[in-house]
Order: sequence, then C-alpha cells, then structure tokens
Amino acid sequence: MNTSKPEDTPLSHTQVARRTFLKTAGVAAAAATGIEGILAARRAPAFAQGTKLHIVRWNDFIPEADAWLKKEGMPEASKALGAEVTLETIGFNDLQPRITAAVQSGAGADIFMLYYNWPHLYANSLVDVSDVANAVAKEQGGFYGVFEPSMKVGGKWLGMPHSIVGNAIAYRKSWFKEVGFSEFPRTWDELRKATAALKKKGKPYGQTLGHTFGDAPTWAYPLLWSFGGAETDKSGKKVAVNSKGTVDSVKYMTALWKEGSDEGGLAWDDSNNNRAFHAGDISATLNGASIYIVAKRQKDKLKDEKGEPLYLDIDHALFPLAGAVGQFPLYFSNGHGVMKYSKNQKLAKDLLRWIHKKENFEKWFQVSEGYSVAPTTEWEKHAMWDKIDKPLQMFRTAARKTRIFGYAGPSTAKSTEVYSKYIVVDMYANAASGKMKPEEAVKWAEGELKKIYEA
Amino acid sequence: MVIERRWKRWVYFYAPLTLFVIGTLFPFYWMFITAIRPDHELYRSWRAVTNTPFWTLQPTLAHFQDLLARTTFPRWLWNTFFIACVSTGISLFCGLLAGYALARLRFPMAGTLGTAIFVTYLVPPTLLFIPLADIIRTFQLGNTPWALILTYPTFLIPFCTWLLMGYFKTIPKELEECARIDGATRFGAMIRIIFPIAVPGILSAGIFAFTLSWNEFIYALIFISSPERKTVPVGVVSELIRGDIYFWGQLMAGALLGSVPVALVYSFFVEYYVAGLTGSVKG
Repeated sequence: MNTSKPEDTPLSHTQVARRTFLKTAGVAAAAATGIEGILAARRAPAFAQGTKLHIVRWNDFIPEADAWLKKEGMPEASKALGAEVTLETIGFNDLQPRITAAVQSGAGADIFMLYYNWPHLYANSLVDVSDVANAVAKEQGGFYGVFEPSMKVGGKWLGMPHSIVGNAIAYRKSWFKEVGFSEFPRTWDELRKATAALKKKGKPYGQTLGHTFGDAPTWAYPLLWSFGGAETDKSGKKVAVNSKGTVDSVKYMTALWKEGSDEGGLAWDDSNNNRAFHAGDISATLNGASIYIVAKRQKDKLKDEKGEPLYLDIDHALFPLAGAVGQFPLYFSNGHGVMKYSKNQKLAKDLLRWIHKKENFEKWFQVSEGYSVAPTTEWEKHAMWDKIDKPLQMFRTAARKTRIFGYAGPSTAKSTEVYSKYIVVDMYANAASGKMKPEEAVKWAEGELKKIYEA
Repeated sequence: MVIERRWKRWVYFYAPLTLFVIGTLFPFYWMFITAIRPDHELYRSWRAVTNTPFWTLQPTLAHFQDLLARTTFPRWLWNTFFIACVSTGISLFCGLLAGYALARLRFPMAGTLGTAIFVTYLVPPTLLFIPLADIIRTFQLGNTPWALILTYPTFLIPFCTWLLMGYFKTIPKELEECARIDGATRFGAMIRIIFPIAVPGILSAGIFAFTLSWNEFIYALIFISSPERKTVPVGVVSELIRGDIYFWGQLMAGALLGSVPVALVYSFFVEYYVAGLTGSVKG
C-alpha cells in the first residue's frame, strides 16, 4: 500500500510549472494589491519558501501587549503574509546599538522600532514607506502633528508612525485633598503651593533630573516650552534659548525643587519614581501609566496607609500645567522603519500594512489599555476609551499638542544630539542643585547649544 | 608587649580584613536578600518604621520560581556556559602558544609585539562591535553561538597572552635548558617542563577568561537575536526590565543564579589562582 502523501512524490514538470506559476501569480497579485489583495483573497501570498521577516521592538511597558504580539499577532501575520515573522523584543537603550551594528554591517532585522526623530539619524538606511503611511493616514483620520517632524525626512515618510506613549502626573488624590486641592493643581504656581505643603508633611513631589531616557527630558522640555522658551529660532540654525521665558522656567524649577520636591531626584533613573510612588515616599510624579497599571495589577501587595489598594487613590493629571504660552508635552512618538539592506522590503511594508489594518491594530490597541495611543486621530473615538479606568481615559486626547525636541526649529540630528547630551535637562539640574544660578545655567546651556546648532 | 601586639593585629589586620570582606560580599548578600524578599517588602518605603532593608522575616522563593517558569533562564545559563567554555578553551590555547613565544623566543620586535597585543585588549568593545558585525555577517554567523565563540577571543587572546607571557618570564630558563641538554626539543621542553610548572598561571588566565566571557554584554546583545539563544546577562536585562518597570526580585534571582557557576570555578581553583597571580617558582 502506498502511504506516501501526494507532496512526498517527486514532482513532474507539469506540477513544477503549475507551482511556479502560482508562486509568480501570488507574488504579482500581492505586489499589485498589497495587503488588501492578500486579505481579500483569504490566502497567503506565495513568497519563496522559508521567507523570514525579523522585526525588533522594545520591551513594551505593558507585558500583555508583547504577549499578544508574540502569541497571536505575529503568528496571524505570518499566515496572512505567507512568511515566518519573528518578533524580537529588547530594552529601549539596547535598540540604538542594534540598529547601528545592523546598518554598518548591512545585515540584521528587516524592521526596527524607531523613536522620536530617529528616522533623521538613519535617513540613509531607511526605505521610503510613504505609500503605507499615506494610506493609513488617509483611512484613519490623519496622523498627530508630532509625527511629521519626527518621521518625515525630505518629504518622505522614513518611519511608519505606530503609536504615542503619553505621560501624565500620577498623584495621590487623598494627599492633595489634605492640603486643600480636591483636584490636581492646574497652574505651575498652584503646583508649587501644593507641593510645598506636602513636602512639609513628608510627602514631596518626585521628579528625576538625571540622565534618563524618559522621565527627565519629558519634564524638562515641556517646562521650557510652557514658559515660552525654545532651543532655537524657526530656522533651527540660531540658538534662542537665552530668553526671559527660559530664565523664568529655570527660576521656577529651582524654587519647586527646594520647596516641594524630593531633592534626591537628581540621581534618579526612570524606575526610581515608580518605586518611590508605590512605596508612598512621594505624593506625585511625572510618568507613563505604568505606575497606575502596576498598582492595579498588584493590588493585593500595594496598599495605601489605610490598607486599601493603592491604585484606588491614584489619578492622572495632564502635564505640563498651564504656563505663559500654552501646554505642550513631549511624548514618545514611536514608529517602525524598514531597513534598506533588507532583502524583503516589500514584505516588510506588507507587514506594516497588516499591523495598521484596523481590525489587527485594534486588538493590540485594546490590550495596551490606553498606555499606547494610536498614531491617528480616529482612534480617539474608539469604544475602549469609555471602558478603561478613569485615570487612563485622559490619554485619549493627550497626544494632540505634543511636540518634538528641536522646537522652534525643525527636529534634526542636531536636536537629537542635544537631547542625547541632556543639555536641557542639565540646565535645570545645574540650577536646582545650586551648582549655578538660574541665569548662569541658561548661559551655560546657550554655550553648549551653540557648539551643536551653530557649529 | 603582648597587649600592644594584639592591638596592632586588630588595627592592621582584622579591621581592614573585616571591611574588605563586608565590601566584597555585600553585593552578593544584597542580591540574595532582594531575591528572597516578598514583593510587598520590595515596595515598602525606606522611611517606614517597619522597613528592614538588610533582612526579611518572610523569605520567599517566588522570584526564583517566576524566573525559571516565565523566562528561559535555564537555557540562557546553558548558552552562557557553553560559549564561555569554548571561547575560553580557544583563547587559552592561542594565549599559551603566543605567550610562550613572546617570553622565550628571540625574534625582532618581540617586545613591541607583546605590547601591541596588550594594547588591542584595551580597545573597547563599544568600538569593535561595528567592524565585528560586518565580519559576522560575511561569515553568516549571526544569531548563532559561534558569533560569540569567535568574537570573544578578540579580547580574551590578548589578555591571556599578556598574562601568560608574564608568567612564563618568571619560570627560570635553566629548567628548560636542562631539558634541552638532555635531548628534549623546544616543543617537548615546552610541553613537558614549562606548561606543568605554569599550571597555576594557565588556570588563573582561564578563570579570568571564563569570567570575562560569562559577563560579556555588548557582543551578546548585538549578535544574538533569538530569546532562546541569549546569554544570561542579556536575557535577564532584556526580559526583566520593561521601560521603567524593573522586576527586582527576579532580576536579583537571575544575577545570583548567574554568578553561581563563576563562584564555583573560583572556589575549586582558588589555590592555583592565587599561586598564578603571585608567581611560579619560589626561590
């Protein structure tokens, strides 16, 4: 009895020709219609057998989001695309060395996650994904304003906008009520009063001014912008930091630091404020939603002084507070870049299309529970926002006013250098620590910025 | 007199020794106590009256269980062990031959070459990983243990060569010359006379090389991408730190378990190791 399966028998010329035809037709169809055609045909395109696609992303703050991608998202994408999609997650700080090594050697992952304005840094190594980006933007209500200066270089989308991770001030509702604030302070002056009163009770405000990738810059830049300060003029070639607005903001920071803040924050990294908040050492801090989410996830372990679950006493307030010229946050603007050295560039673009297809993106979006905001405005209307906890609902529209560093000029590699050297953060730290007077700190920052922008 | 001697012994010996032991062992104690501390204590305020930072009354193995169940830590441990052993073996072999040649053979520029080899050890991996990535791609070794096994010797061989070269220089030439007078070839004298005497030096070079391979981070991060092929230093950091959320209990459990093999290697060979650092033949 012949037990061999049909595919085990040697192929005849006719069969080979048929398969070859199907493969060619499949690739041609996919090329012509992209992911739409693939999904409409309900059949995976016939990419060369064993085609692999490697995507590298950060370790998501929400582990469930990574778990969904690994267990459901990427396997589904593999089926839809007819290729084996491998997702690798690594730490945020480890992404740059990986991208650098990949670019230099011309080998590595096909797609890398990109942050802020990284497409400007790797412009020569990234594929133009304008066709994908424009289609998604058109279908889903347009990208938030921050993405154009971040991910568009020379009129081309070199990064496909993916999401925005917003931050806000997590605060203890009952403690602020104790000092007369039933709601979180709305202005910088009110914050100064409230935190001064709280510090006297041993519950200071917690803020890092260390060299951290998240919490320190996302505090310092919005503070600068809120008081009317800017790194450069609109051309991006003339340093404009030494202004009344900047000096006022540094003076404010110095006062807030001494009167209302935990002064150990100069040495904090991104995790210290989380721990201090959960431990009840600080009354409020600028952070993503991770403080609230961890407190809720560990409600049996994290309790307030009354023995109640801590998360019930946490709320979020919009940051920055009302200043002289407005409220402009600096959020993580995240995207994906297809690498030029990739042999599967078309397939990589198809994966991006698959990720951003509404029904696929929706699943990931919902798992993230508001921690990651979608790149387009249409998702503000999604029903998820009404179902998630109230403290997380404020992230719904939070991304509207976010800016990118380099303001008031364009966001370029030079502005990334300023960000990477923590010059704006150090300007505030130098004054807050008492190392320099506010005017001296601004003068110092002006000198450092000139070395970069005007060199 | 006796009282004075005892006083001096305490001040000049016991007190510094105690401080040294505390300073050396405290990080391990801190790792251990954090690894067995329950979560609610990890989140307790430093200012809380119930805070007991240096001990815990409710030890738990939950972090170890989570580490072993939720990550592929045993696999990372095996990967690290395999890569460290093979790269140490390759480096020791090359270091032995190069060290002997530089210490014993007379050829032009021997001294300069020895210094040049040591200088290559000083080139930081943060600079070297870019050209090495190109080589790894050329040989299609990316995401395989061989990417690390073949790149670690770039810093291990110079180190072993330099250390063994110094050690060979402390072995009297006369021992080797006697063997050669008795009819041994240079190679025979090297194998039968010099290498047995140099065992402490070889072991200490091996221990150092093993430790350097075990703890290496940047090459392991760049050249390995699959989670199941990662080494302990990269695996622990990439899986247990999520943005600003650090899983401290599991991180410390991973660091503690990861340091056990190195501690075992040191404890088995400590006498050779000390002898290797202090010289070979005592006069």
